[in-house]
Amino acid sequence: MTFMGFVLAVCAVASGIGVIGFRNPLYSAFSLVANLMTMAGLYALLDAHFLAVSQVVVYAGAIMVLVLFVLMLLNLKVEGGAKLGLMRAGLALTAGVLILVTGLKPIMEHFSSVPAITLRENATKTVGDVASIGEQLFGRYVVQFELSSLVLLIGIVGAVMLAKRKHVQLAPRSVFGEAE
Amino acid sequence: MSSLLGYLGLSLLLFVIGAIGVCIRRNAIVVFMCIEMMLNAVNLSFVTFSKLLGNLDGQIAVFFVMVIAAAEAAVGLAIIISVFRNVASVETSDAAELKW
Amino acid sequence: MFGLFVLIVKVALVMNLALMLASLCTWLERKGSALIQDRVGANRAGAFIESDKWFLKPFLPAVRMMGWLGVINTLVCDSLKGIAKEDFIPEGTSKFLHAVAPIIAVLPIMLAFGVLPFAPDFTIFGHHIQAQVARIDAGLLFVLAMGSVAVYGVAIAGWTGNNKFSLLGSLRAAAQMISYELPMGLVFVALIIVFGSLDIYTIVQKQGELLWGVVPQWGIVMQPVGFVILLLAGMAETKRGPFDLPEAESELAAGYFTEYSGMKFLLFWLGEFAEIALFAALLALLFFGGWHIPWVTLPEGVWWAALLGHFVLMAKIVFFCVLQIVIRWTLPRFRYDHLMNLGWKMLLPLSLLNLIGTAVLKVAL
Repeated sequence: MTFMGFVLAVCAVASGIGVIGFRNPLYSAFSLVANLMTMAGLYALLDAHFLAVSQVVVYAGAIMVLVLFVLMLLNLKVEGGAKLGLMRAGLALTAGVLILVTGLKPIMEHFSSVPAITLRENATKTVGDVASIGEQLFGRYVVQFELSSLVLLIGIVGAVMLAKRKHVQLAPRSVFGEAE
Repeated sequence: MSSLLGYLGLSLLLFVIGAIGVCIRRNAIVVFMCIEMMLNAVNLSFVTFSKLLGNLDGQIAVFFVMVIAAAEAAVGLAIIISVFRNVASVETSDAAELKW
Repeated sequence: MFGLFVLIVKVALVMNLALMLASLCTWLERKGSALIQDRVGANRAGAFIESDKWFLKPFLPAVRMMGWLGVINTLVCDSLKGIAKEDFIPEGTSKFLHAVAPIIAVLPIMLAFGVLPFAPDFTIFGHHIQAQVARIDAGLLFVLAMGSVAVYGVAIAGWTGNNKFSLLGSLRAAAQMISYELPMGLVFVALIIVFGSLDIYTIVQKQGELLWGVVPQWGIVMQPVGFVILLLAGMAETKRGPFDLPEAESELAAGYFTEYSGMKFLLFWLGEFAEIALFAALLALLFFGGWHIPWVTLPEGVWWAALLGHFVLMAKIVFFCVLQIVIRWTLPRFRYDHLMNLGWKMLLPLSLLNLIGTAVLKVAL
């Protein structure tokens, strides 16, 4: 990991903790935006240039703006303090540690045995620029690509259906009371 | 040890942070954001493996995850809004009834 | 080491260029609006300056001229006023976010300047120089990404204002920016289809060729509908002109920056004018051939050709800055539903049709 990568990683972890740590959901949302930006930086460091830019467009530019909109429109109160039970926090922490251990074990076992040189050699080969990603998307993965557009369409229709306010049809009423 | 191990460790750490967030936070929107963070952590490991193995399949997978996340955001937030209309709250514990 | 030095110089030059263009726009706005409204405009500060010092004497006529033209008023007096004013922070809000919002509003626009080329490549003293800070191959997408990140500055500013006008203004601004990003992106896609690249430098170089050996292959020739859509969408994106609903002063005080004063307010101001310059640069680069002069082929890689190209490009950029300011001071403001109708019911279908038409033509020809 280069120096830049290390700095970005620290920022990512800090903003990640911010997401779950802040009482005010709006602050959580801003930390998540910061987190997504650092992720875009990490993608760029890993030579996934197209993904880095589309991460900013899709996550920071579309999804988080949507979340921010909802938060601002609902105008939520800050979550009440001291409600978080010891039991719940303990369970959550245990679950987290368990995931961490189960994940860390294969990483350490598997990758400490692979010689670093072969990895580096492979590592220089792939650059996820627009042209190569495009060739893959419209070549091998063209069916999946078209299907994903269908998923998005269904998502749009579903969102509109769910969020649409049902219009109450008011019965036509005479101005002069019920007589008629 | 490869220099890419750090990225995998970071991905794991972010996933764990997200998972803890899903468990301890009660605000549905924050829970939703934590899920997004977990998806991102997995994306990071996809990209790392793509670099490690020298092919682009991992990056394509990340692309599709982004598509699904966008659709999920639209539908998920719509659900949260319609729940809010009915129970005037986005706390997960307040929306415990199966029918209203 | 030399590469790093060149990079730092390039960053400084491009930043300077962006800020110069922004301040030029500020002045054009002051004097141009006066011209359009048949006023005199700023013409006092510095216009009658006198001095007995011998070393100042030779500069006095020039300074008086600048004062008469209002340059000193807009560039010196206004910024001094901004620095001297009280920095007001509304009660019951996050001080940190309040301070950060103007920075977030300006930063992405400055970053977007980093991927724009300002002259063709040239060789000098045996070094190959790209007149561009970063030539990333997704340049156009990067500009779009920075445009969508700029929403945050506005949203945070409105929310930290802690009053209804600010919040309404920021909601309007965010909705408007998101809505008009869609036609903008679709026009970019059509352009990508035409020129076969997302790299802005490649797009500009392709525009130097002739179409069927007759017409220069400029974006305006290849994508006339796209140009109109991008012009409208871009004006809405900069939140100016007939689309200045987020800060409609007759309805919302000053919209999302109601609660800002002093330098923070000026930062928003700067961001707005830098955005005008950025958009003008995009129009010049993507639709009007960048540094190319029609039917004239300049030698490649020579420094004087690059310099000439740079001046040609700057002339085009200034032209589009003036065009935007003239439109802004000529047309009345939209109503909100008209704005949304224009975006979603006119521009979006039109840009989709344009995209399909472009794709069909590309395959057919």
